[in-house]
Amino acid sequence: MKTKMKTGPFIIIMVIAIIIAIYTLMPFILVVVNVFKSAKGEFGIANDPVGLKGASFAQLGDNLSRVINNSNFSFWSAFGTSALITIICLVLLAVFGGMAAWVICRNKTKWSTAIYMVFIASMIIPFQVVMLPLISTFRDVGNFVGLKLLQSIPGIVFAYLGFGGAMTVFILTGMVKTVPYDLEEAASIDGCSYEGIYFRIIFPLLKPSIVTVTILNGMWIWNDYLLPSLMLGQNGKVKTLPVAVQAFVGSYVKQWDLILTAALLAMIPMIIIFLIAQKQIMSGMVEGAVK
Amino acid sequence: MSEVIIKGLKKVYDNKVTAVHDVNLHIADKEFIVLVGPSGCGKSTTLRMVAGLEDISGGELYIDGKLCNNVAPKDRDIAMVFQSYALYPHMSVYENLAFALKLRKVPKDEIDKKVREVAEILGITQYLERKPKALSGGQRQRVAIGRAMVRDPKVFLMDEPLSNLDAKLRNQMRAEIIKLRARINTTFMYVTHDQTEAMTLADRIVIMKDGYVNQIGTPQDLFNKPVNLFVAGFIGMPVMNFFDGCKLLLEDGKYYAEIRGVKFELDEFQQKALKQNGQQPCNIIAGIRPQHVTVGEGQLSATIEVSEMMGSEYNIHARSGDDEVVMVIPTVDLHTDVSMGKTVQFNTKPALIQLFDKESGNNLIWYDKESADADAPVCKVYQF
Ligand SMILES: Nc1ncnc2c1ncn2[C@@H]1O[C@H](COP(=O)(O)OP(=O)(O)O)[C@@H](O)[C@H]1O
Ligand SMILES: [Mg+2]
Repeated sequence: MKTKMKTGPFIIIMVIAIIIAIYTLMPFILVVVNVFKSAKGEFGIANDPVGLKGASFAQLGDNLSRVINNSNFSFWSAFGTSALITIICLVLLAVFGGMAAWVICRNKTKWSTAIYMVFIASMIIPFQVVMLPLISTFRDVGNFVGLKLLQSIPGIVFAYLGFGGAMTVFILTGMVKTVPYDLEEAASIDGCSYEGIYFRIIFPLLKPSIVTVTILNGMWIWNDYLLPSLMLGQNGKVKTLPVAVQAFVGSYVKQWDLILTAALLAMIPMIIIFLIAQKQIMSGMVEGAVK
Repeated sequence: MSEVIIKGLKKVYDNKVTAVHDVNLHIADKEFIVLVGPSGCGKSTTLRMVAGLEDISGGELYIDGKLCNNVAPKDRDIAMVFQSYALYPHMSVYENLAFALKLRKVPKDEIDKKVREVAEILGITQYLERKPKALSGGQRQRVAIGRAMVRDPKVFLMDEPLSNLDAKLRNQMRAEIIKLRARINTTFMYVTHDQTEAMTLADRIVIMKDGYVNQIGTPQDLFNKPVNLFVAGFIGMPVMNFFDGCKLLLEDGKYYAEIRGVKFELDEFQQKALKQNGQQPCNIIAGIRPQHVTVGEGQLSATIEVSEMMGSEYNIHARSGDDEVVMVIPTVDLHTDVSMGKTVQFNTKPALIQLFDKESGNNLIWYDKESADADAPVCKVYQF
């Protein structure tokens, strides 16, 4: 039974909620408002970042074409790099994360417990603590072993698998526990090999949790700035979208119109995915919170 | 031909628990074998070793003449029905049934034909598109059996397949399995803790306790010739009456059983068997099945405590000294007042008295030293 809230408290809560919503959305609103404006002029972004005067679709078109055609920014290449890195990471995290979770869950030995503990422990360590040693280690590997990990897509994918693996395995292990072991035995009698059991039985049954971790990892990897900026750098050939936006940020001149337009372009795929998969994301978050 | 030969099969779990000691069993082609025994006696473990789900710690397993100790489950050509049904929740009923055939790369139209044929037999055709979640317990059970049937396996294994069903459905499915068996025509190994299931389904029953096989035989054998107290107590409903403190007497070359001071001269075949064994007089526990008691005459007496009229028969619980005596008396044979509180005389035929050695718990007539497992622990008194 739902108890109906009294009108007074309801209004107060709604007002607070709306204020919090606006507060959270402010950066996004600023982006959306200002992509319609030019950088300079009386009503330009620099002088009037919140007003709607001076906003026009013509200006938006102009901003878009300047961003997309900018040779320093090279939008399509950055977009492609971001998409490639994100997709590869998501697929590998889902497949290997599921495998790791399955094996950890089903082989209860001292070793598997220890490995699981290491996964959990690694979630506690903040990224900022390990980022500088990580970069220098990667550089050493490049110098001495000849494996190019910096400024390369395989390198950053490798790093993301490490940073994303812990949470993925953590969430998926919880899910594997809910799959009855009988199913695997039945499958092995029906004719499945060991790999067959994973891909035909376990992986499909992990689907709800796979969707959850894919969305969480996807939002993080697509939007991430710090790791790619350290690993790929400003001057390399390979850049992700958030890193490429830096092209418009000079030491003295900040081209706000282009920065914001590029930021909007970077956001659009995530916004579309969010709108499509809204229900899944919400239930995924709740699930993650409960488990 | 798909006979299963089990020689000295043994299972020791990691934590040093010996779950199964030395099981020897020769299952003929198309035979229906039921493993029965109380919970924890090692029935499932034995079955799972045949299936390949547990490693075999010792002994040999031959399926169809081939040594299978180290063969993977998928290569043993067996099918198994699990207690939990273990249906794949992400697949429709159709896909569940087709799964094993698909893995074996059977052509699509052949799979379709086979799946529909099996679904027809089991009456689940209208559910083929459903997911298992949308089925009742009985329907899931059918799908689980169907999944095993489509394979035409060499051996059909079932681990307590009916124990998750309610009593009515269980009786119904039991009858269906008997019907199915006639159609499938393969070798069956069936595990249950329910002696009624074992008695009604089996060609031969293997009765186990604490990891040891106690007796292997037809349902009639187990009922009429139990080798020890455990088998006598486990098989038969209601449970056999046991009278402790009885004696086997030998007077003038004739054996007598003395029950509560009353002497019964034993039957011809009992005399012969005891003589052959050179049996000396000893303390025994006498066993009499409730169905073998007659009321009205006789030197034994008992006071009736509960008397249940079941229609064609009376179930009577009476007290005779320290022992509780259960009697099942056909209504037509009853000419005595058996209402509560009455004291009645009762009797039995000496040939129907089972004689168990007080020391070993073994049946003096039917226990066979040759075939029995000498290491098996002594079973003195049967308890649930
Ligand atoms: N995986 C296991 N590890 C250790 N001991 C087990 C395992 N499975 C079963 N056992 C033990 O083996 C014995 C036989 O078990 P089981 O074959 O399942 O009995 P049943 O099916 O007759 O009830 C029991 O004592 C049980 O505790
Ligand atoms: Mg069992």
